[in-house]
Amino acid sequence: MSTKLFLAVALLTLVFFQPGPAFSEEFLVGGKPFSIMGYVTQGGAVSLVEKNKPDTERDFQSALTNLFLEMAYKPRDDIKLYGSGMLTADWMYDLKHNDRSWKDKGFADSRKNLYIDDQYWQLLKEAHVTWTPPNWNIRAGKQIVGWGETDGFRLIDQINPLDQRRGFADVEFESTIIPTWLLKTEYFPAHKPMWMQDLGFEFIFNPNVTWIKNQPIELGNDVGGIWAPYVTGPDFKDLSPLGVPGLGFIPTGALGALPPPLQAAAASFPNVASRIGSADVTLDRPRSGSTTGMEYAGRIKTIIADSIITLNGFYGRSNDYVSRSAAAPPRMTTAEDGAVIIHPQLEAFYPYFKFVGATFSRDITPLKASFLGGVAPVLRLETFYAFNSTFSNQITNEFVKKDELRYAIGVDWKVKIPLLNPRAYFTISPQFYQQKIMSYGSERKELAGLYENNYMTTLMITTSYLHNKLVPSFFWMRDRTNKANFFRYQLGYDYSNVWHFVIGATTFDGTKEGQGFDVFQNKDQLYFKVSYKWG
Amino acid sequence: MTISEIKEKTMNRIRESKGTVFLTFIMAMVLVSPLWAGEPYKKIDAVTLQKYKGWLDDPRPLTKELPYSKILPAEVYAKLTWDIPTMKKAWADVVGFAAPDAVGKIAPEIKPGKYSYKDMETKAGLKELVIPYFRDHFFKPAGPPLIGNFSEMTLIPTRQLYFQLPVSQATKKNAGKTKLDDKGYIIDRSYEAGIPFPKPSGKFKAQQVVYNWVKRYWEAESSDSVGQFKGFNRHLKMDFDGLIEIKTLNLAGRCVIPPFGYLDERARQRKEASAVLLTYLAPRDQYGTALNVLTYEAADAFDLNTLYINSLRRLRKLSATDSQDALGGQDIIMDDNNGFGKLCSTRNPYKLEILAEREYLVPFTTDGSLYFSSKGMELKNVELERRPMYVIKMTQLDKNYVYSYRIAYFDQETFILYHIENYDQKGRLYRTNTSFTTFVPEMGMTTQRTVISRDHVDLHSSLALPFITPIVHLKRSDVGLEGLVGKGK
Repeated sequence: MSTKLFLAVALLTLVFFQPGPAFSEEFLVGGKPFSIMGYVTQGGAVSLVEKNKPDTERDFQSALTNLFLEMAYKPRDDIKLYGSGMLTADWMYDLKHNDRSWKDKGFADSRKNLYIDDQYWQLLKEAHVTWTPPNWNIRAGKQIVGWGETDGFRLIDQINPLDQRRGFADVEFESTIIPTWLLKTEYFPAHKPMWMQDLGFEFIFNPNVTWIKNQPIELGNDVGGIWAPYVTGPDFKDLSPLGVPGLGFIPTGALGALPPPLQAAAASFPNVASRIGSADVTLDRPRSGSTTGMEYAGRIKTIIADSIITLNGFYGRSNDYVSRSAAAPPRMTTAEDGAVIIHPQLEAFYPYFKFVGATFSRDITPLKASFLGGVAPVLRLETFYAFNSTFSNQITNEFVKKDELRYAIGVDWKVKIPLLNPRAYFTISPQFYQQKIMSYGSERKELAGLYENNYMTTLMITTSYLHNKLVPSFFWMRDRTNKANFFRYQLGYDYSNVWHFVIGATTFDGTKEGQGFDVFQNKDQLYFKVSYKWG
Repeated sequence: MTISEIKEKTMNRIRESKGTVFLTFIMAMVLVSPLWAGEPYKKIDAVTLQKYKGWLDDPRPLTKELPYSKILPAEVYAKLTWDIPTMKKAWADVVGFAAPDAVGKIAPEIKPGKYSYKDMETKAGLKELVIPYFRDHFFKPAGPPLIGNFSEMTLIPTRQLYFQLPVSQATKKNAGKTKLDDKGYIIDRSYEAGIPFPKPSGKFKAQQVVYNWVKRYWEAESSDSVGQFKGFNRHLKMDFDGLIEIKTLNLAGRCVIPPFGYLDERARQRKEASAVLLTYLAPRDQYGTALNVLTYEAADAFDLNTLYINSLRRLRKLSATDSQDALGGQDIIMDDNNGFGKLCSTRNPYKLEILAEREYLVPFTTDGSLYFSSKGMELKNVELERRPMYVIKMTQLDKNYVYSYRIAYFDQETFILYHIENYDQKGRLYRTNTSFTTFVPEMGMTTQRTVISRDHVDLHSSLALPFITPIVHLKRSDVGLEGLVGKGK
C-alpha cells in the first residue's frame, strides 16, 4: 500500500469519526445497535545505547502508527457481528529514508517487511459472526481464541499466531495477536453434576483458509529491522589480496586447512569480525487451503469448588518453524563497518504439534491478611505435555522428535502498602516456567537454543495513583537458563476519557554470548506512545 | 484424463474453494439462524434509551416517556402488576404503618412546594429536615469540585411506598422464621423469602433493618439493565465515559417470578443467593469485558467472581476478597456496590447502632424528569420527600479496612438504602453514594434512576444512569459461564 493511500484512509477515518460523546459512534441499524469504536496511536522509540552499534541507531529508531477500527452489530440478542481492521505503519522508514547510518546498517532494506503492514490478514483483523442459541456459542470467522493463565509469554495459548516483529516495547494486544479463520463451537450442557458449578465444551477447527503462522523477529538488519538480534560469528581473515582464486573470507578456525605457505601469509592479515545476518530459508509449509495445514483443538471448561479448571488438547502445526543448516555454504556479505555478515542457508518446515494440557486457577482465601489489605492471592497453573515435538539437533544437524513437558505457576496478589500508596493496591504477579525435554541426549546443548530443562521467571508489579489515572508498572523477565534479563519500566497516564499517554523503557542483558536476551543487548530503548480512542 | 488426474483436480478444486465454503457458512449462519431462533422481547439498549432521555440537559420525564407498560409485552406486564389498593393495604399490614401517617412531626410548617437552598437560612425547619450531608454538600449552588449539587428542589407529598403483592404475602407468611445468632447474624437456612424483619425491634434492631435491605426486593427478581457511567474530575471535566449492560437473577428467596424459593436444586444445595452478569460496552478499551458475580447466602462464603478479559480473550478468576480497591474510573469500591459488602462476623465485621429514627427529606424523581445541567453539572428537577428513616452507624471493627465507619440512611417503610456516607480510618469523609429513585406504583417496585457517587478525598465524582427492565425469562445460563463467554468480545 502506498504512503499516500495510507494517509488518505487515516485522514478520512479521523475526519469521519470526530471526537464526541460516547453515543456519537452508536447508531441504530434496522432498529438494532451498531457501534463503531477505535483508536489511533503514535509511538516512538529512542535508543539508550550510547555507543554506535551496528544493530541499532543512536537516536530515534521507530515511529509506529496504529489505526484500529472495530465495529459491532447485534441484529438479535443471540446474533453478534464483529469486525476490526488495523493500519500499521512505521514512519521511520520515511523519516530516515536518506539517513546514511540507516541505509549503511541495512535497516532501510527491511522496509519491505516493516514499513506498512498491507497483507489482507494484517489489515483485516477480525471478522466473525457469533450465534448463541440456548446452550451454544458458535463463532465462525477470523477470530482470536485465548487459552491459558500466563501473562507475558504463551504456553498453552497456541491457537493464534503472534506478530513479534515490532519488538518488546509497549505493544497493544490487538497489534501482536494474529486472528485466524476458525470455527469455534461451545456447548454448555443444561444438566451437570451437582459438584460442578458450571461446564462447557469447546471445539475449534482451523480450516487453513489462509496459512498464517508466527511472525518472529528475524535475523539481519535488512529483514528484522531495528529489532534484529545481534549475534556474533567467528573471526575471519580477508585473504583476497593474496590473489588466490576462490580464497576470500576464511574463518580463522579454518586456516589450519590451508597449505602452510598460505597459513604463514594469512597470519599477517588482520582479523575481521563477523555477525549473523538474515538467513536464506527454504521453508516447506502447507499451502493455504490444504488439509495438511488444518488444526483441531478442544477444551473442557468447568468451575468446581470456585476453581476454574480446563482440560485442553491441540493437534495441528507449530506456530514456529524448525530449521537446520542446508547443504549449501552460507552466503557472505560485507557490512559498512567492514564486518563479515554471514547469511545462513537453512531448510525449515512447520512440524506437527500435538499436546494435552490443563489449567487451574482459584484464590487461596486462607492466605488473605488484613494488614496487607485483606485480598487473597489468586493461584494460576498451566501445563501441557506434547508428543513427538520436532527439534533441531545442532550437533548432528538432524530433525529429531522428543516429547516435552511445559508448565507454569503464577500468582496474582493485591497488597496494600500505605507508605507507597495510601489509596490504591499494588498488584504483584510472579510466574515460574519450566520446559522439560524428554529423552534429551548426553550432550548438554544438543538441541538448538534449548537445554534439557529450561527455566524462566517473570515478575509484574503495578499500582495506580490520581484516581486510577496514573499507572506505573514494572515487568521483569528472567531467562534463568541463559542467565539473561529483560526489564520494562512504564508509566501510563489517562489525560482524559479519550487521550492516553505512555512512556517507558526496556533494557536487556545476558551473560551468555548469543543466548537469550543477550542478543538484544544493544536494543535498550526509551519509548513513548500517544493514544486517542473513541467509542 | 486418468482417474488419478480427475481425483487430483477435484481435490485442488476443493482446496481452492475452502475459503468460499467457509465464508458461505458464515453468511448462512447470519441468514438462516433467525428463522428458527426466538427472541424473548425487545430490550432497551443505550441508543434507544438516548432517544427518550439524553444524559445531559434533557428534562423529559422518562417515566412517562418510557413506561414499563410500553416496554414489556402485555402478558409479562400483567404478571408484574397488581391492584394498587391491595398492595398498599397488604404492606401496611406487614410493617404496621403507612409513611404519610408517620411524618409531619418535625417542622410541620414545611409544606410541599418549591424551595431553594437559601430557604435553609430563613426556615429553620427546612434545615432540620434536610439530611446533614445534603445541607453541607448537595443542596447548594452548582460548581466544582463535585457534580450533582442542586440549588432548588420541589418538596413532594409523602407517599405510601410498598412492594409487589407476592412480597407482602411472603413476608407475612414467613414472619418470625428468620433468626439471628447471638452476634446478630442471620442463621443459615432460617430465611426463606420476603422481607425478614418487617417490624424491627429488640437488641438487634439495627441488624434487622440492615438485613431487610440485604434481602431487598427492589427492582426485580430478574432484570436486564443498561447503565451509563460517567466520571468527572475536580474541574468537572469528564474523564470516564462508560456503558454497561447488567443482567441480575435472584437465586434464593424468590416469590414474585416462579420458581419460588430457590431457583433450582443447585441454588438450594449450594445456598446461592444471586447471580449478576455485567458486560462493558464502553469505554472502548473495556468493550467486551464481562464480569460474572455469584453470591452465596452463607455469611462466610466468598463470592465467585469470574472475569472475561476482552484484551486477552480469556476467562480469569478474580479474588472475591478484592473488594476494597476502587473500581476503575469510578468512585465506589466493590463493597460499596450493595451498600457495604457482606455482613460477616469473621471478615470485616461491623458494629451496628441506630443513631436516629426520624423523618428526613429524601431524594426521588417521580416522573424521571431529573437531569444534569451542563452548567456546573447541577441537578435539576430534584424532588425531595419526607420519609421516616433509620440512620444507622456501621462501625468497622477491622482497623485495616479502607473505611472506619459508614452512616447509612434506610427508609423505615421499605428499608431501601438511599444514601450512605463512608469515612476513612482517619475519620475523614471519603466516599458517598446517593440514589435518586422512581417508584412504579402498579408494580410495587422502586428502581434507581440516578446514582451519584463522590470521592471527597480525591475530589472526584461520578454518575450512574441505570435503566432497569424487569424480565421473567432470564435463566441461570444467561448469568453463568455461558452468558459470560457469550457476552464477551
